[in-house]
Amino acid sequence: MTRPRRSLFLKYFVTLFVAVVAPLVLGSATEAWFAFRDNRIDLDERLQVEARSAADRIQAFTDGIRDQLGWVVQFPWNEGEDDRHRIDGLRLLQQVPAIVSLSLIDPNGTERVFVSRVSMNRTGRGADMSEDPAVVGARANRVWYGPVHYQRDSEPYMRIAVAGNRAAAGIVVADINLKLIWDIIAAIKIGDTGHALVVDDSGRLIAHPDISLVLRSGAGSADFNRLKSVVSADEGSAVSTTGEDGKPVVALSVRAANVGWTVIAEQPVQEAFESIRAALWRSLMLIAIGIIFASGLAYWRACRMWGPIRQLEDGVERIGMGQLDHRITIQSRDELEQLAIRFNQMAEELAASQHKSERINRLKQFLAPQVAELVEHSDQRLLDGQRREVVAIFGDLRGFTAFTARAQPDAILAVLRQYYEAVGAVTSRHEATLIRFDGDGVMVLVNAPVTCEDPAHRGIRLAIDMQAAVQSLASTWSADGCALGFGVGIAMGPATVGTLGYHGRLDYTAIGNVVNLASRLCGLADDGQILVDPVVTEHVNDSIALTSIGERPIKGYDHDLEVFAVVRMYAPIRHLGHPFHPAHVRPVAAARVRTTLELAATDAG
Amino acid sequence: MACPAAAFAQDSTRVYRIFWLSTQAQPDPFLDGFREGLRARGYIEGKNVALELHYAIGNPQALREVATELRRGKVDLAVSSGPATRAMTAVAEVPVLFALSGDPVELGLVQSLGQPGGNFTGSTFLSLELAGKRVELLKEVFPNLRKLAVLSNANHPGEQSEWRATKEAAEKLGIAPLYVPFAGANELDGALTLVGDAHADALLVFPDVLTMVHRSKIADFAIAHRLPSMFGWSEYCDAGGLLSYGANQRATYFWLATYADRILRGEKPANLPVFQPTRFELIVNLRTAEQLGIDLDKSSILFRANRVIE
Repeated sequence: MTRPRRSLFLKYFVTLFVAVVAPLVLGSATEAWFAFRDNRIDLDERLQVEARSAADRIQAFTDGIRDQLGWVVQFPWNEGEDDRHRIDGLRLLQQVPAIVSLSLIDPNGTERVFVSRVSMNRTGRGADMSEDPAVVGARANRVWYGPVHYQRDSEPYMRIAVAGNRAAAGIVVADINLKLIWDIIAAIKIGDTGHALVVDDSGRLIAHPDISLVLRSGAGSADFNRLKSVVSADEGSAVSTTGEDGKPVVALSVRAANVGWTVIAEQPVQEAFESIRAALWRSLMLIAIGIIFASGLAYWRACRMWGPIRQLEDGVERIGMGQLDHRITIQSRDELEQLAIRFNQMAEELAASQHKSERINRLKQFLAPQVAELVEHSDQRLLDGQRREVVAIFGDLRGFTAFTARAQPDAILAVLRQYYEAVGAVTSRHEATLIRFDGDGVMVLVNAPVTCEDPAHRGIRLAIDMQAAVQSLASTWSADGCALGFGVGIAMGPATVGTLGYHGRLDYTAIGNVVNLASRLCGLADDGQILVDPVVTEHVNDSIALTSIGERPIKGYDHDLEVFAVVRMYAPIRHLGHPFHPAHVRPVAAARVRTTLELAATDAG
Repeated sequence: MACPAAAFAQDSTRVYRIFWLSTQAQPDPFLDGFREGLRARGYIEGKNVALELHYAIGNPQALREVATELRRGKVDLAVSSGPATRAMTAVAEVPVLFALSGDPVELGLVQSLGQPGGNFTGSTFLSLELAGKRVELLKEVFPNLRKLAVLSNANHPGEQSEWRATKEAAEKLGIAPLYVPFAGANELDGALTLVGDAHADALLVFPDVLTMVHRSKIADFAIAHRLPSMFGWSEYCDAGGLLSYGANQRATYFWLATYADRILRGEKPANLPVFQPTRFELIVNLRTAEQLGIDLDKSSILFRANRVIE
């Protein structure tokens, strides 16, 4: 038989484990997913707001310059007013720090006034600028934004040209130092380390919190161009990419429409997903703790379930092997403990029942079955050693030794079997105690261990029935050619009764003169004769016909004893080939019995 | 810009050695600006930064020895102010920060302003361009200006270019410039006597460490000789000069400290663009104008002034 030892344990363990861990993992995963989504939406919004705000401010910066420039092209050019225009220009420089220089151009496209913070001012008719793209652009669209260029290979500049409402007002062209946008961009902080930057259409950097990147005259524009195209591809939502410094960032772009620049708001991935990472970490920790807790709990629960079951299984196995004193200790305060208690009760009862059946079996060896049951079910102390008045009956086949010498073993055993059966049946019928068979001899006890009324009567009737039964058998045996007789001796008196023996070999025995006497009487008895001692005779005189056969010397007795014989109701079958002399011819098989009985008698004396 | 606290985080146990080289004696107004900048970046002198000052008064050649020492010793950074930069051109082992009036590309210190490409970077004041502007401003305030005395420290690098630009502008505006050069502090008095004897209509002083240190003396001299004066930096006006036009010195040196910080953190000077001032200040000292009896209200100068000292 295969023993799936661990399957229950595993089942319990896995079930409990899954029951705890599955909801936990599911819950944490769901929470993490929602947290991630919210974080992502939030990040998008944050970057959008910052980029939009930067774009708006940059637009406000350029629009502000445009509006201020518009102020110097409100009046038409009149001769002799160059100086007034010059003052206007100077005041505009004072007003707008980003303007480094500006040219005022008359309707014909001739530069009339040039004022600058660095270079020397010029007044009066100057160069013809009618073909200048700034002039052409401003004439066409009123406002013209030039491309970004780097002055002295370093500082980003752009030109803005504004035309007046009327062509007569002329055009103003201003050189703008874009370094001043830095103030706008540097002020934008996204989280702790996020920032905004501005690139033009070809990816050249216009503004960055680290101004030194801007001052490199467009070096590294390939990087920024890549960043711009990656981020612009996904308009309006944040993109994870590599930032200008090679670190992973989340970036979002917004276009500043009027100048055609792109504002990119970016935040390092590290920081952008800080909260979600923290949330994930928390979830993982929770799951880990959950798993440890769940496995501990599941292990404990499974052990609590599996341990008692193993104990029970083990117990059943031991009981099965006959170890009935095995007990189970389970203290789970639940059905399992109940089961263990029941198991222990069962084992106890089983042991008691087995013990009882063993005793009954043993009792049945020398007691009639009903007597054995009676003994078993009544007082257990019946078998204890005690002194009491008993009737001892001895029977003995005559001529058995001669028979055994001639007969086949089968025949001998067949004869003995029939003989035992007959004697046994009679003993049972009279509810007497069959002490033992010994070859052709038999010893029966009345009034022990079960007491009865009038033991002498019962004993004498038993003896008579036994003699009759054996005699009827003897008649059949003689028909088969076996000449066997049967003699009985009966005596009554006090004897010590009780169980004697060693280990499992226990016998119920009577010790005393009465046993001795009955045996001697049996020895004296002729075939078909029942010899009775004076005590029994005294008790049964009135109902059984007894006749005295005179005083006989009995071994172990100092004086001769009067012996009585039951008056025969039938004549013994005289078929033995030789005269029967019980006094001289003793059956060999009975010799050992006699020896023990003699010893017993000596002890008793 | 990085936050100041990060400077400590860089390496709290390390003490950075910075050489400060100048051809002028203390008190050194530029050094104060630089120190202020370092403090703002979280550096504390004696704790995580050690400034070693090397002055070679009026003698840039003397600094060459310092340059040799610089190459041998474990110096993290050298900062050279003005003419001292000349002595440093041969140094290639240590990052050098400079603050120049002239053009560092022309001096061969950097490959371009945008990408210096070597161990030099710093700041240029574009004095060359502003030289003409200063003459122009004087002419605007005093349309009758005919003769202009130009006081210049000949030891200053790029001084000749500045003089040429000034001369050109003056001639364009119909002014006769009178060039009064001097070499070193001991020649200053003689130069001033020359200016006083020249009967000029106004005085233009080139911005330079030497004239900066002696700005009060020069300003007082100008007032005593009833000379309207024009200078390069606002500090001259604070000392009594009438006008000044140029970048803010202190701000520039303060800003130079941020470059020092970035270099100490491991950035290469080659990648740090040479900084140019964005804002130019026009300072007018009305008190001096009153002393000289000049009515400035007539010109456009007052509304253009960034600061008026009253």
